[in-house]
Amino acid sequence: MILKSYRYTNEVILEHLSEQIIQSDTLEALEKLRIDIFGKKGVLATEFAKLKDIPAMEKKAFAEGLNRHKETLQNSFDAKFDMLQNEAIEQRLKSDFIDVSLYSSLAKKGALHPVMETMDKIIEYFVAMNFSIESGPMVEDDFHNFEALNLPKHHPARDMQDTFYFRDGHLLRTHTSPVQIRRMLETKPPIRMIAPGSVFRRDYDLTHTPMFHQVEGLVVEEKGKVSFANLKSILNDFLKSMFGDVEIRFRPSFFPFTEPSAEVDISCIFCKGKGCRVCSHTGWLEVLGCGIVDPNVFKAVGYKEVSGYAFGLGVERFAMLMHQIPDLRSLFEGDIRLLEQFR
Amino acid sequence: MIVTKSWLNEFVDLEGISNEKLYETFNSIGLEVDHISSYVIPKKVVVGKIISCEKHPDADKLNVCQIDVGSGIRQIVCGAANVVDARYVAVATLGAVLPGDLEIKYAKLRGVASEGMVCSAVELGLPEVGKGILILDESIGTLEVGRELGSCEKVADTVIELELTANRGDCLSIYGVARDLSVALERKLKPLEHQSSLKEKLGIARMVEIQARGEIDADLSYMLASVDGVSLSCLVALRLAMIEIKTSEPLAGLLQYSMHAVGVTMRAYDAENLKDDGKIHLHIESRQKGIVAVIAKGETVSIVGISQDVASRAKEERSIVLFETSYIHPDLLVEAVAQSTLERDEIYYRTSRGSEPQLYIGAQYLSSLLKSNADCTFYDGSMDISSHFEPVTIGLSSEEVSSIIGQGIEKSKIVTILASLGFEIHSSKNENFGVVVPRFRHDVKNIQDVTEEIVRIIGINNIAAQPMSLVESNQKTEAAVRYAYKKELRQCASAAALDENISYIFSDRSRLEANGFACVKEELDLVNPITEELNTLRSTMMINLLEAVKRNVSYTKKSIGLFEIGAVFDAKRRQKEMFAVIFCGQKESENVANSGKPAMIDFASFVGKIGSIIGTFELAPCSYKNRLIHPYQSADILINGQKCGYLSKLHPVVQNEYGIYETFFSEIDWDALLPEHINAKAVSNFQGVYRDLSIVINKQISYGQVNKVITALESEILKEWYPVDVYEDKSLGGQKSLTVRFMIQSMHKTLEESEIESVMMLILNSLEHNCQAKLR
Repeated sequence: MILKSYRYTNEVILEHLSEQIIQSDTLEALEKLRIDIFGKKGVLATEFAKLKDIPAMEKKAFAEGLNRHKETLQNSFDAKFDMLQNEAIEQRLKSDFIDVSLYSSLAKKGALHPVMETMDKIIEYFVAMNFSIESGPMVEDDFHNFEALNLPKHHPARDMQDTFYFRDGHLLRTHTSPVQIRRMLETKPPIRMIAPGSVFRRDYDLTHTPMFHQVEGLVVEEKGKVSFANLKSILNDFLKSMFGDVEIRFRPSFFPFTEPSAEVDISCIFCKGKGCRVCSHTGWLEVLGCGIVDPNVFKAVGYKEVSGYAFGLGVERFAMLMHQIPDLRSLFEGDIRLLEQFR
Repeated sequence: MIVTKSWLNEFVDLEGISNEKLYETFNSIGLEVDHISSYVIPKKVVVGKIISCEKHPDADKLNVCQIDVGSGIRQIVCGAANVVDARYVAVATLGAVLPGDLEIKYAKLRGVASEGMVCSAVELGLPEVGKGILILDESIGTLEVGRELGSCEKVADTVIELELTANRGDCLSIYGVARDLSVALERKLKPLEHQSSLKEKLGIARMVEIQARGEIDADLSYMLASVDGVSLSCLVALRLAMIEIKTSEPLAGLLQYSMHAVGVTMRAYDAENLKDDGKIHLHIESRQKGIVAVIAKGETVSIVGISQDVASRAKEERSIVLFETSYIHPDLLVEAVAQSTLERDEIYYRTSRGSEPQLYIGAQYLSSLLKSNADCTFYDGSMDISSHFEPVTIGLSSEEVSSIIGQGIEKSKIVTILASLGFEIHSSKNENFGVVVPRFRHDVKNIQDVTEEIVRIIGINNIAAQPMSLVESNQKTEAAVRYAYKKELRQCASAAALDENISYIFSDRSRLEANGFACVKEELDLVNPITEELNTLRSTMMINLLEAVKRNVSYTKKSIGLFEIGAVFDAKRRQKEMFAVIFCGQKESENVANSGKPAMIDFASFVGKIGSIIGTFELAPCSYKNRLIHPYQSADILINGQKCGYLSKLHPVVQNEYGIYETFFSEIDWDALLPEHINAKAVSNFQGVYRDLSIVINKQISYGQVNKVITALESEILKEWYPVDVYEDKSLGGQKSLTVRFMIQSMHKTLEESEIESVMMLILNSLEHNCQAKLR
């Protein structure tokens, strides 16, 4: 495109190019225009080349005019370029479209067992209350499991706990209480401990499994420091932390290792105390046993002038109530149909 | 222990006490209510008097009765055979609706009109009482013809099942429960009704002679009576049914009824059978502490509190019966029985928990009951033997009781409560005073036992909760640290898409053995397993986990990943905690990304899963041996160079036996997974480079061996290396191509190309020398 006259810049061509920029609809076409206009051999270069032939007095006006044109072209080019580039990105993004709803079930995490998860919650409460965690062996002897807990041989209360025995006279612990005895034998008071763990009783039916889990608690301080009122206080708080806003009822009961003893009920969480099948229409659910440590237990571990309380609960019972699990035995069968609900 | 409201009412006045109040009171004094329900007799069921009873003209088994039901005489056809013996019966009149929505309407039975129905106990919603219709008598109250049967409290009774704790033998009777209830309700016990009996002129001593040998630990009292034609009254039969006692022998029924009523141990002997030369010579013999034998004619007829020779029992047709009431301290009895091989009968439950020691109550109740349920004449007097009894005295102070409870309790309150519970108070102006425990509370032995009694009566719910003050201390025990890490590990495992499993620590011995696992030595094993499948302690968790997988496959699950942290036991029964993982089937869920055809779990994916849970480890050829292990896809797991477990593909034969998909599993010693303290090392700020080295080596040489050679170089600038490709084909023959990628970096400077080249040469030379490797 060679201009015939130097007097005038080629307005027609420049305007036409401007029009072409506006009308180009691909980045490729625009690139071609860029070379035609702004390239080394482009229109603008040709126009500016005329400058050297233009008389001095007209030079300034010519240059000014040309620069104006250049600026206009540049602006419209930039605007078009941005527009087309954005369109291209948008296009590419659109081509990446996926139906996200197809993928919602892809993520998979395993489940923590509801019994263990419940045990975690119980443990966390007592750890926050500055209790220590203690553990002990599952295979126990008569002394730690019974004798030291004021359950002498032939005591009728031993019938309450049908025991697994070994040929050498050892047994599987029937409760986590022997951990109390071990702890007391190895250390001096004060003691504030819980003992979570599995326990074993020879019982197998709809509501009993030969293995289940307990959390045992024990507090020992010097004589006169620990009272039944203290026990009530912490258990009230604990049960509310586990079950929310429930009513709590203490009933006198009997355990060989505590005296006075009590069983603790919460108002039924299913019927709010009105009476339903789960609570046998009583409005109450029994959830734990507790009491002031029997002096015979302290005697057995050689403690003198002390006072203390103890409590114990079944973790499966808590888990079944908290999660409305209907079948105890399903908890020990690795049944994914149950477990996957806790993922 | 089952009690009924009307029965309790014989001993303590329950006028105006609602069932709700009873329920609450029992629970608050430690007699837990298991169940409480009232029998409701339908309306329009009334007391009827049979005027006449004739055979139905057209039916052998039917009777046509004319019955006075108060509002008139009704003709009612009845099918029960025992209606012919009845005078008073329960009649459902027209319009009555019996349980099961049975409405009584006018009917014709084989042509004879019938305006109502004569009812059996079951038809009225009561427990079954004998066969046929319920025959009423005065024992249930005044029999006013036309009276609604539902208004009769002894029939429409409330039954309460109490769950007694092992220490409360004193509450194994209606009387015992009433005694406790009377304190809680602050109502006095009623004096026992005692019908003075017609005494035979003969005294008992003319017929019975008793000799004691040795110091006798039991109290015994004997009465003699001639008993004729025992038949249970309506009330006795009904109550026996309510307390779920079934007996076909009326005399035995009366004994059971009396024992349930007052808690005194009772036995009845056939007196004729005991006689020797026209007289009964009883020898009471102390065999050992707690074992007291009753001997007649040289034979042991019973052992107190334990058993009775069946042949010596009073028989229904005999008329002279020797009644025995007894008491023996349960502690003595239980200890003695445990050391003996003596058979125990049903009375032992009561005696081992402490029966009622006041024998005269039993004697009175029984004789009065016999009067009203049999033709009975007692010989005059009784023959008694008493043991030496030392009452238990406990020293108390209100201060000590208050400190156990955590709330101030005044002495006067303590004294009032204990006195009402039958304790004898040693009067004293001091704060310290003594109390004597009543004999029926053998379980009360120390101040805390006494405190429990006070707590029971005050009501635990009336004790204000009081937070404890404590001195905080570091409670981070070893168990706490282990627990925290266990929880972390469990969370990692769940993040690796594994579900947590809990299985029993029991296993099947034969199955463990068959699969080549260790077993607890026979002499250390369980004596009384619960089932054959759970007859020993497990030495591995894998059998239980395989069972769980199998169950899930049967529930149509296609991808099953489980983990468990649990105990296993070795041959010496030592307990160890293990971390076990099993993964069966598809390695991920079926989804659009894998077009619904996910690959099965494979070695690499399984190792990846384990690694994402337990962190860094090495694998070495498997040294474990059991039948589950795949010989060519299994490995020892080493952490910090220490072997701590293994992982393996499940042996295809075992996989087939279980009928499950391809499976991988791992069992690791949990102790080895406890994290160690880590100190950070300095990192290099200089550029590092990656270089690959491809070599050709003998197929039999494992990467592990190559790795060892490289490690032995101990080059400071070799930061890390790992295999990235293995290639075998026919052209390579017995050789394989292996590519290892190295990261080379110095702590001190940017390495020159020559330095990098030289370390790569060093590696190659060493591999050529030690593994006969060649550069590919």
